[in-house]
Amino acid sequence: MPASRHPPTLALALVPRAVALNLALGAIAGALKLPVYLDSVGTILVAALVGPWAAVVTGIASNTVLGLLSNPQLLAFIPVTIVIGLLAGAAARVGAFRSLGAAAAAGVVIGVAAALTSVPILIALFGGVTPSGTGIVTVALRTVLGLSLERAAEIASLSTDVLDKPLSCVIVALVLARLPRHLAARLQAPGART
Amino acid sequence: MRGSLDRWNPRTPLAAALFLVAASYAGPAPWSAPAALAVALGVAAATGIGRRVATLVLAVAVPTAVLLLVMHLHAPSPGASIVRPGAVGLDRAAVLDALGVAIPLAAAVGALGWIVAGVAPRRLTRALAERGLPAWAAYVLVASLEAVPEARRRAREVLDAQRCRGLGVGGGPLSRVRALISLAGPLVVSLVTESEERALALDARGFEPGGRRTALTPVPDRRGERTARAALWLATALILAWRLVAAWRGGGGGGGGA
Repeated sequence: MPASRHPPTLALALVPRAVALNLALGAIAGALKLPVYLDSVGTILVAALVGPWAAVVTGIASNTVLGLLSNPQLLAFIPVTIVIGLLAGAAARVGAFRSLGAAAAAGVVIGVAAALTSVPILIALFGGVTPSGTGIVTVALRTVLGLSLERAAEIASLSTDVLDKPLSCVIVALVLARLPRHLAARLQAPGART
Repeated sequence: MRGSLDRWNPRTPLAAALFLVAASYAGPAPWSAPAALAVALGVAAATGIGRRVATLVLAVAVPTAVLLLVMHLHAPSPGASIVRPGAVGLDRAAVLDALGVAIPLAAAVGALGWIVAGVAPRRLTRALAERGLPAWAAYVLVASLEAVPEARRRAREVLDAQRCRGLGVGGGPLSRVRALISLAGPLVVSLVTESEERALALDARGFEPGGRRTALTPVPDRRGERTARAALWLATALILAWRLVAAWRGGGGGGGGA
């Protein structure tokens, strides 16, 4: 935490709630059969409320906890959550969460960066595919269009992330607009509307 | 049921698991990854968590291998096909390629599966806190672990409550996105508001983020385990150094993994 040596307690208390949010919204998106993960909303929210370093901690905690509890392969994608946290923090600093359009645009940038970060991990550790919707899209692109593995994995990841991250950022912008003012003030939220 | 691994200091299975991950991806090919997988499954079986670890391994490695094989089905090399279902075929290189990804992956998942299935996460956090993990990091880990079942319950409750109020969660993608935003709003705001209460509770108890936690029941750390961990960390460092030197010399060293 570069700004101060240790995080303030409100920011600290927010991180586990954001981890829970990443999981809960992922479950709701699954229940609604939407082709998105929404497992970064908590990370992006913390970036907007506290800043990039707390968002990075949230992302690392999310993948570590879910990796320890159920799915060890999530541990490999910790670098992706770090990129999401840092970029969402930067987006909050420039006020991207003060309007829905700007939030969606920031989501596209975050989505592209997240996809490009995940592809080398996918190729190196998983041979380009994971047992998920994105993996099936990769296989389809490679077998039907004859694309190279790298290009197929890139397109599959991009197609998911450029839907997922803008939607996540829009949800965060909507939530920030409804957040109690005293809470945003106490957190000195860089992304909240004033 | 966590098996007998939970009687060890959690840092010992963690060090062993990380050693096996390093061995499966950076160790010499072709034997290091299959050997790591055999050790991961053997230890899991011997410590009473074999079924859970095997399930984790199969859930990740088999679909990955199947997807990789399907990816190669369209372009068999003439004359080299070893499986020919109808008009498509699969050559030896494709099978080796799929196994070359699936076996190290299975070994890594199997080794980390020791921690998932065999070590209580709270005990692991306590052991790490005794080793110097700052109080804020220990709090984040423990509170997040506790928040996960709570989050699952909360997601179900929100979904059920909104359905009871007549919120349609079916239809086209747009109506489902609308439903999602209606569901997400109350959930996010309630979780953020709740964190303020948690922060007040932490402040009231004089929580010091940078301090060290005092353990009420320290996690035992036997001398033999300390020696084993030192050997495991050294072996992990040696494997990684060997891999780096091999890569630097340009030979590649025949890595066990990708």
